[in-house]
Amino acid sequence: MGFMLTTLIFIVIGMIACLCTRICCNKGPSANLFHLTLVTTATVCCWMMWAIVYLAQMNPLIVPILSEGE
Amino acid sequence: MAKHGGGCIPPMDLFRSEAMHLVQLIVPIESAHLTVSYLGDIGLIQFKDLNAEKSPFQRTYASQIKRCGEMTRKLRFFNDQMSKAGITRSSKSVARADMHLEDLEAKLGELEAELIEVNANNEKLQHGYSELTEYKLVLQKAGEFFKDAQISASARQKEISPDLPAESLATPLLKDHESSHDLSKQVRLGFVTGLVPKEKAMAFERIIFRATRGNVLLRQVALEEAVVDPTSGQKVQKNIFVVFFSGERLKSKIVKISEAFAVNRYPFTEDMGKQTQMITEVSGRLSELKMTIEAGLQHRGTLLRRIGEQYEQWNQVVHKEKSIYHILNMLSIDVTKKCLVAEGWSPKYATKKIQNALQQAAIDSSSQVGTIFRVLHTKKLPPTYFRTNKFTESFQAIVDAYGVAKYQEANPGVFTVVTFPFLFAVMFGDWGHGICLLLATLYIISKEKKFSGQKLGDIMEMAFGGRYVILLMSIFSIYTGLIYNEFFSVPFALFGPSAYACRDASCSDSTTVGLVKVRDTYPFGVDPSWHGTRSELPFLNSLKMKMSILLGVAQMNLGIMLSFFNALYFRNFLNIWFQFIPQMIFLNGLFGYLSLLIVAKWYTGSKADLYHIMIYMFLSPTDDLGENQLFENQKTVQLVLLLLSLIAVPWMLLPKPYILKARHKTRHQDESYALLDDNDDSLHGEADRDSDDQEFEFSEVFVHQLIHTIEFVLGAVSNTASYLRLWALSLAHSELSAVFYEKVLLLAWGYNNVIILIVGIIVFIFATAGVLLVMETLSAFLHALRLHWVEFQNKFYEGDGYKFRPFSFALLNNEDESS
Repeated sequence: MGFMLTTLIFIVIGMIACLCTRICCNKGPSANLFHLTLVTTATVCCWMMWAIVYLAQMNPLIVPILSEGE
Repeated sequence: MAKHGGGCIPPMDLFRSEAMHLVQLIVPIESAHLTVSYLGDIGLIQFKDLNAEKSPFQRTYASQIKRCGEMTRKLRFFNDQMSKAGITRSSKSVARADMHLEDLEAKLGELEAELIEVNANNEKLQHGYSELTEYKLVLQKAGEFFKDAQISASARQKEISPDLPAESLATPLLKDHESSHDLSKQVRLGFVTGLVPKEKAMAFERIIFRATRGNVLLRQVALEEAVVDPTSGQKVQKNIFVVFFSGERLKSKIVKISEAFAVNRYPFTEDMGKQTQMITEVSGRLSELKMTIEAGLQHRGTLLRRIGEQYEQWNQVVHKEKSIYHILNMLSIDVTKKCLVAEGWSPKYATKKIQNALQQAAIDSSSQVGTIFRVLHTKKLPPTYFRTNKFTESFQAIVDAYGVAKYQEANPGVFTVVTFPFLFAVMFGDWGHGICLLLATLYIISKEKKFSGQKLGDIMEMAFGGRYVILLMSIFSIYTGLIYNEFFSVPFALFGPSAYACRDASCSDSTTVGLVKVRDTYPFGVDPSWHGTRSELPFLNSLKMKMSILLGVAQMNLGIMLSFFNALYFRNFLNIWFQFIPQMIFLNGLFGYLSLLIVAKWYTGSKADLYHIMIYMFLSPTDDLGENQLFENQKTVQLVLLLLSLIAVPWMLLPKPYILKARHKTRHQDESYALLDDNDDSLHGEADRDSDDQEFEFSEVFVHQLIHTIEFVLGAVSNTASYLRLWALSLAHSELSAVFYEKVLLLAWGYNNVIILIVGIIVFIFATAGVLLVMETLSAFLHALRLHWVEFQNKFYEGDGYKFRPFSFALLNNEDESS
């Protein structure tokens, strides 16, 4: 799917999640900022993990070598 | 404490602790009790103890506290009695109107007296009852002795002298060889009957034999069931005995020995008629006593039940009053004895609420003067107060377990809510196990209301307290499990076909040279083709180690950024220029550069050896890179970074102490006299100055800065390496999971036998639950915790504050329940 495309998808999902939390629990500006921070941190963490695994497999230096008897 | 303003970010919930101020309340005496009670309901003031020098007996309200203590003792007595009688107290008591302490005290006093009296009567009756029971048994058994002996003696008599009348057999037992003698030469025999405990029976017999030189006759019969001993109230196995003797001296000896053995003696008549009369009389008295005892027990039962209904309410009232008096003892009493002065910390947002409560109390206690509410200015450190809800409470508890945040410093709890479950999940990644955890924690959360009222065991209590943490942990675990592509160690091709395929149609060299990448990269997570191959471990190890380094560098950078925000908030620009900037340069110059190299190597697919690059960057930086070159001008970049990092170390170490010294000199340069204390401090005039304003030891500051620098520089290497535990634990988890799957489940499947399959499945389930779901969860939890507490928090967290403990009835109730 491509690295950039999926990164874009992550950003979009993150923004949708922010909007959802803003809609369902709107409790004042400081609480909203807190929820925003949580959602952003979660999105960044998840994206980083995906991106690392994806990048590692983009140009592999070793390939799967099947074991005997498979 | 330097003055602080806002940072460059708008205020955020939970990021900094609530703004607190020291308030002073001047309360008229008549409304004191009610004021403290209302303030306890609100629960937002932490009172300071203004009478700290006084002993508990010198304080104003010591007698009230003693009275409350007495009432608590009475309530405890009632509780004991109720549990002994097996009556449970109702948790929801009948809500009566508010009781006054004096009424309650009187009522408790009379109930206690009544209960004690009932208990004493009961004891006495029981004593009498058991004595009578023993007497009845003696009458029955000893009667049998005499009857048997009479029958056998009369039989013998019939043999020897069949014409002698039967009534002359007064003492039949000794008639065997004296039947020829004159009746007048009959020896008068006395006897003693009673009960002796079975264990002492042999000793009793022996001592009587020795003491009387064998001139007595002792007969014993054991009772089948145990009788209740009147003195001790316990059931004891006893023997009934009869001792026959002649003469007064023997009688006194036997009586003394019986008393020594705590034997119960009972009178006995030889006359048969009288015996039966006694038995019926005793039986009659026994049944009467039994009825009386039962009536007594019933009365006690009703009494205790009445107490049980109101117990909870009384308990609460007494506790509440006791705590109110404790607080009242902390207030200092004014010289004119007309008002009390209170000091305490309270959050600024609660001011309106507190003032309302004070007004209400003044109105309700119909006092002429209202309470005065004043804010004091002080340099002392306020307590830390975070307004958490049930979700953030457990995460904040995790942070507080290491150290409570200093007043208004950045709270790592904000990020811990996400990064802690995330790092756990990196070490736990298996979406099958994640689903199991999720189901378990959803069950606990669904029963939240029920569990929060109950008293749970220790382990269950911890699991319940951390239910939201475990919820997030399981959700993230499902995510990382999908990325690692492990479902109980089995991979699935959920997001499209695998990117690898055989080189040719026959797959002949798949075991030697391996597969080849024919399609685009597998879009989400680890390619399913890797599982079970020979090169799986080299690939995954490299991937996970590099991932750990990248995640670690990211989290440490976040930590240093938080220290920047702290410095900005407290307007400590010295820290920004001479701590934050060199720290950023050092960490990112070396480990940020490493992260960049990792990403560049992945992106370009080059065969460069990163170990070699990093090591030779230090050993011989001017050497040519050759095949390790990843991008243009790499050598120059490395040289520059190395130089910057080398400069950063003295930059962190040297300027700050000297600048602090210069500042101190300019501040106290023209001082030839001491400053007057013109602060509006508390009434007691505590001269609590900022001690570091006056003293400045240069050597101390320098050593402190040296330690800080060394810690950071060495820590940069060791902390980055410490993040490799993310790799280690995730490897352990996937290997254990694979072993259980292949060596248990697949093995059992291979036998084609239903029983072995079932046994295999059961072993698999238990092993997964015990080792992976419990042990691995705890292990990953612990390591994620350590990464947060040490590697993340030592970049910015001071954690030497103290927690805000307000006077609140709700908190007191919780403490009572948990104690």
